[in-house]
Amino acid sequence: MAAASTSASAAPSSSSAEQDALRALTFQRLHPKTYLERFLAEQIRPDGRDLDEWRDVSVDVGSISTADGSALVRLGSTTVVCGVKAEVAEPELDSPHSGFLVPNLDLPAICSPKFKPGPPTDEAQVLSDRLNEVLVSSGIVPTYSLCIEPGKAVWVLYVDATCINYDGNAFDATLLAMVAALKNTRLPKATYYEVTKRTTCSRKVQEPLQIGRLPTSFSFGIFDGTHLLADPTSFEEPLLDTTVSVVLDETGGLTSVMQLGLGILGADDVLNKCIDAAKDAWRKTRRDVYGAS
Amino acid sequence: MAQSNFDRRRINGPEESYQPIFEHDEDERETRWKPGNPRKGRAPRNIRPIFLKAGLINQANGSAYIETEKTKIACAVYGPRQSKTTVYSEKGRLNVEVKFAPFSCTKRRVPIRDAEDRSVAVQIQQALVPSLRLELLPKSTIDIFVTIIENDGIEGCIAAGSVAASVALADAGIEMLGLVASCSAAVVGQELWLDPTNEEGQAASGSLVLAAMPALGTVTSVWQTGSMTPAEAIQGMEACQECCADIHTVMAQSLLENAQNT
Repeated sequence: MAAASTSASAAPSSSSAEQDALRALTFQRLHPKTYLERFLAEQIRPDGRDLDEWRDVSVDVGSISTADGSALVRLGSTTVVCGVKAEVAEPELDSPHSGFLVPNLDLPAICSPKFKPGPPTDEAQVLSDRLNEVLVSSGIVPTYSLCIEPGKAVWVLYVDATCINYDGNAFDATLLAMVAALKNTRLPKATYYEVTKRTTCSRKVQEPLQIGRLPTSFSFGIFDGTHLLADPTSFEEPLLDTTVSVVLDETGGLTSVMQLGLGILGADDVLNKCIDAAKDAWRKTRRDVYGAS
Repeated sequence: MAQSNFDRRRINGPEESYQPIFEHDEDERETRWKPGNPRKGRAPRNIRPIFLKAGLINQANGSAYIETEKTKIACAVYGPRQSKTTVYSEKGRLNVEVKFAPFSCTKRRVPIRDAEDRSVAVQIQQALVPSLRLELLPKSTIDIFVTIIENDGIEGCIAAGSVAASVALADAGIEMLGLVASCSAAVVGQELWLDPTNEEGQAASGSLVLAAMPALGTVTSVWQTGSMTPAEAIQGMEACQECCADIHTVMAQSLLENAQNT
């Protein structure tokens, strides 16, 4: 991206189209809000989409052999890799039949110039927490199914997602990646031996996880109290006052809704509109996103 | 055994959890490599096929993704950008940061950065610094971020990481003297094997990583660990240098394809 700005300084023969592109890029950097307003006035967004259009999703599972389950999701340009690692632990004293599901999202410096290397930023922490809430409330992996021996040994599923390219809407992309990775996970058959007080796993027998509901999320943003944008990009995200995320399960039923900010568009409350738009988008594009099996 | 690390910035699991222990498998014992056996699946001087693509991360100034069978690495370059320090520096700074994804190794890696991340980063930096024209970028820093998505042999990771970083730097348009290609080798028994996997690296008595600029015919860095005779080390370096010339062709090809597609 920086290369474009240095090349225009050279030749007098650089075409006017290149100069226009440079002017547009400068305007976008200096006045992002006005830039977006000009586009929305024409009912279109800077990347060419309609206001209610969703980016294409591609899900690729099982490519990482060191993980027990893995998925790579591309939501437009936003790329998230998720891997599931299973370890064995002792259950909590007050819930001897429950295993653990530990999701985490990492937004490292590689994915965007706005993240600096170091401990997780506020954004990463908030997203991890929201993902944890959705995974727990949707019951994707019932914790009793992770029990090896009540009170002695249970599975701990570490679901770690790393964003490789951040172009907005990391929440939707990460939820897709985590659910796809869990669906892809195969655990070795484990047996707890009372005599040695150890758990041993079989190399030969592997079982898939017991999967409950499969949540998928649809995020929206409200710009300036006037426009509702579906699936915001990284350019649009900082300019939004309100974000709404609607989570649906594999039957199109509502699982959860999260809203940050005032949900008013003009004079109407926008929440029901978002839920309907999400169900519509689910029917059109995401019904089979997790595949048949 | 995992130590208890309560990290208040992440969702935590139980205090302690253990990597699953597998039963003894007699068949596996039979198929494991023993001294005197030939290499499994490849000739000793063959490297794993490389898939290399530039420009996958559009948020960065330059980026590359490399895949060699089971090693998968993504690399992004941000820069040149202003140095955060107030000290004036005539030459630009090259800052390399390496991160292993928690699911990249057989045993889960805790997200806290440790010494292995740092040592891989230093080796990649040493391989790249001689190739860049940092004297043209005073007061600036070039940040290279490497994320290792899957790890099959640490020497292979260092080599692949250097290759990806060099392609990403070229993709970012940073002036350089030449592309840096890198290759690893290991001494297993009496033989020299190029590009060892994790299993082969563990059976090896010594290993070597060499980074070179084939366009100029110079070597930028050599790291040798473990035990090998000086003759084996020289033999290894020569084999790696020959291999770097082939890797350079793959790198140039991927940059050309990327330029033609945009």
